Amino acid sequence: MSGSNTKQRAGLHGFARSLVTGWAILGGVILLCVVLLNVVSVIGSTFWAPFPGDFEMTEVGVAVAAFMFLPYCQLTDANVTADIFTANASRRWVAVFALLASVGALGFSLLLLWRMYAGLLDQKAYGYTTTILQFPHWVAFVPILMSLALLALAAALTLRDSLTKLSES
Amino acid sequence: MADALMTGFAGLVVLILLIAIRMPIALAMIIVGGVGVTLLNGTAIFMAQLKTLAYGQFSIYDLSVVPMFVLMGALATQAGLSKDMFRAANAWLGWLRGGTAMAAIAACAIFGAVCGSSLATASTMGKVALPELARYRYSGALATGTLAAGGVLGILIPPSVVLIIYSIIVEANIVTMFMAALIPGIMAVLLFLLTIAIYVTIWPEAGPRGDPNTRAEFISATLGVIPVLAIFLLVIGGIYAGFYNPTPAAAVGVFLVWLYGTFRGQMGLKAMRISLLETASTTGMIYLILLGAEMLKIFMSRAGVPQATAEWMANSGLAPMTVLLLLLVALIALGCLMDSLSMILLAIPFFWPVLVELNGGLYQMAEGSGFGMSTEDLKIWFGILALIVVELGLITPPVGMNVFVISALAQNVPMSETFKGVMPFFLAELVRVAILLAFPVIVLWLPHILS
Repeated sequence: MSGSNTKQRAGLHGFARSLVTGWAILGGVILLCVVLLNVVSVIGSTFWAPFPGDFEMTEVGVAVAAFMFLPYCQLTDANVTADIFTANASRRWVAVFALLASVGALGFSLLLLWRMYAGLLDQKAYGYTTTILQFPHWVAFVPILMSLALLALAAALTLRDSLTKLSES
Repeated sequence: MADALMTGFAGLVVLILLIAIRMPIALAMIIVGGVGVTLLNGTAIFMAQLKTLAYGQFSIYDLSVVPMFVLMGALATQAGLSKDMFRAANAWLGWLRGGTAMAAIAACAIFGAVCGSSLATASTMGKVALPELARYRYSGALATGTLAAGGVLGILIPPSVVLIIYSIIVEANIVTMFMAALIPGIMAVLLFLLTIAIYVTIWPEAGPRGDPNTRAEFISATLGVIPVLAIFLLVIGGIYAGFYNPTPAAAVGVFLVWLYGTFRGQMGLKAMRISLLETASTTGMIYLILLGAEMLKIFMSRAGVPQATAEWMANSGLAPMTVLLLLLVALIALGCLMDSLSMILLAIPFFWPVLVELNGGLYQMAEGSGFGMSTEDLKIWFGILALIVVELGLITPPVGMNVFVISALAQNVPMSETFKGVMPFFLAELVRVAILLAFPVIVLWLPHILS
């Protein structure tokens, strides 16, 4: 019973991992699109005319991609820490610190998810768009909110990992 | 007001504590910044700000160049650029005594410029050059020291991500900073080559001559590096010539590196996947720190901490140059604890106002100023100095990340040997800082004649 339970959890864990990784790759693909847009614009402005609105679409595209990278950073522990002060700390303490960091990340992602949802409603209510192409900003907020939800999921996973480590040590 | 200031300083103490207990630096800044602003201004304002703060910060146009250069570096690593560069440099320099180490320095400089990360440069070039250095029976200290030191060259040779971040914090023109960085960057390469030449003159057995290579190898190695140099010139040359902004230039660079890799048959799906995930971790990490730095900045400036520090320093009676030296020493010390980017984001918002105050204000001209130059020039000069010293922490104990990376690659060389091997290069860096401190014109000349 408990065996199948762990297996199922590992499966769920594995699924969440591939979801977060796939999401980051999708963000990378958006970045590649921004790259292509700029290349086309450079070629266009050399021979003909620049792509209209390349500036603002670069801004929006890179912002969305950057948000989409955040869950992956949390899951793979890519966010830099200064380890020098605690280099000699026991495994138990390191697990406690990791737990605190995960709690912080979880709290922050939920707070930002809640606030940026309000931000989305504002953007939609006031109809804010980019200047040239009239691209509505709230559309960009949709993948961003999904990224923040995934960030919360990733933080929950790292939180569980450090709890496991804490109980083992 | 005094209360706000106390809150600000208390916030700094908490920040240091959080960083000390391994809280990710970005998160530590976010927490302190967020709680601090709430304490000073109440919850409502901060909650309203959070609706768009992160989106606004992530969509700054000048920043968009960062993920692109990161992607370009990741693709360059996958495309096997490093091998071509080392091979060509070795064909040119390998016949000299210590020549293979010199070739590694030259290749590190160019690869570091394209790749933009000191650690990635050290590890990529280490994989390529360490076996060669061992084959020619270079001493372990010289071989590993050279590669660990070579990793720091990239930060000043444009395009450099940290340089872009510095420009954004102090509101300097990115292109001007790129121009200013060029001569000091080349100077570092020359000083490192000179260091190796002196090293092998004192200890000739440390760096034997390589085999004289055949004419055919010389020509093929040289031809092999031409596409790489062409990409580099097109990207950086285009920026210098004002042909395009850094962002489109970076996009062109990404495209050309990808094209080159595809042409060489290195850009399969797996390579793309690795490059994109590499870009995701580095970019996400940088952007989160930027968000944290922004929140911390809002809190600190409302508490009046940078202004108070600047005033206090200005009234301390210390000469401007003494203060500058103190700040640089502080950056070297911090560099032993943190990575360059976090440090620049953390320290520059405090250090820069001090220098502005000492120089006589933001719009001060050269005449009657504290440093004998306009504040615009000071911004450029200090930036270059700061970027050099923040990288020194990568090759000094106790953290010396570059040394760790190289040690992991060269299992048979004890880490103490690597630290010994890095010392001459560390001294060369101090010489460079001293020269740039004494002659600011080396930094300022190129931006002045080109703009």
